[in-house]
Amino acid sequence: MRLTILNGSPRGKKSNSAVLLSHFTRGFLESPGNSMETLHLINERPGFEKPKDAFFSAERILLAFPLYVDAMPGSVKEFIEKLEPYKGKRPDLRLMYLVQNGFPETCHNRPVQRYLEKLTRRRGCAYGGSIVKGGCEGLDVQPSFLVEKVFDLFYQIGISYGRTGLLDNDLLARLARPEHLSPENIAQVIPMVNVFLWDSLMDKNGAKDRSFDRPYL
Amino acid sequence: MDILILNGSPSGSRLNGQIAELKSLLEKTAHAVRELTLRDMKYSPCRGCFGCWVKTPGRCIFRDDGDILCSQAIHSDMVILASPLRMGYPSALTKNALDRMIPLIHPYLEGIDNEAHHMKRYDRYPLLGLLLEKEADTDQDDMDIVHEIFRRAAINLRSAMQFVAYTDKPIEEVCNAINHS
Repeated sequence: MRLTILNGSPRGKKSNSAVLLSHFTRGFLESPGNSMETLHLINERPGFEKPKDAFFSAERILLAFPLYVDAMPGSVKEFIEKLEPYKGKRPDLRLMYLVQNGFPETCHNRPVQRYLEKLTRRRGCAYGGSIVKGGCEGLDVQPSFLVEKVFDLFYQIGISYGRTGLLDNDLLARLARPEHLSPENIAQVIPMVNVFLWDSLMDKNGAKDRSFDRPYL
Repeated sequence: MDILILNGSPSGSRLNGQIAELKSLLEKTAHAVRELTLRDMKYSPCRGCFGCWVKTPGRCIFRDDGDILCSQAIHSDMVILASPLRMGYPSALTKNALDRMIPLIHPYLEGIDNEAHHMKRYDRYPLLGLLLEKEADTDQDDMDIVHEIFRRAAINLRSAMQFVAYTDKPIEEVCNAINHS
């Protein structure tokens, strides 16, 4: 099986999406004969020639991106618009997606997941499913046992996909937890995100005392 | 009301005329209307560096027209995104502008209706409206998806979705929807 990965993270190689993809592909490549290539969309602007070519030649494409204002990053939308002329030309192409968000819960990704499924049908390609996951910002400051669990699930999904060519729905459901947060979770998790992620980043930049600046007033 | 129209359509599109019509109708009903033509502006896509949240709070580290987008939006009572749907979602021109507005909110999360969303940076935010041009194959499903995505985006931008209108209906109806908001 040959898989083409289009990483739509505006952070390119140094992105959380790339880290998550690396665990998926480690599993995928364990099956003999599997191979892959990766393109970082941010480096392909504005023409997107190589990823456009992939839509003609690839067997399977995995488009990955972080959630930006509840949808795809603008730079990914630029690429999607480049695909308008190819509608219906690749009915055999299997398209799947990875959408990760920085909120603690996965539910934020569901509307864009619905969009991607519709987009795939609109292009006339085969929809291979979506890997969706919340809680993906600050992977380096989260407790390591939690992060390892997420990485391991990406690895398991990769192994299973590498063997069967299908995303395993049980693994997808496990990965998506928590889909929602209970009020108790919200009270507990949110202060931790604010302190361990945002305060520490602001401290590093000496910006914490300016955190609530309002430069446009 | 102070209304900002973000024109996310390409040049030569019929939508430009419809935006001009909306603008003049709104001005006749005592609104102050400003329009930013996104295709004539220079702003890079958001790179997700979070500089606007953790280095220079409230301001993007890029020095480009993103500054104009933020300052004009925060000084409005309503922002109308006017865009054609392309591949089932507003134009990349529009989405890149929207992504560059995150300096207006704060990185901290808080619970809103049992979900995590971003905290306010400013005391008040403009309402959000959408004026969309359908594609040849736009169906109810597409419209539902766009509405749901923007309803949620409005929550995260600490705004509220006021209306979604389509250019296949008379522009007067859009104007009426705004006047009743």
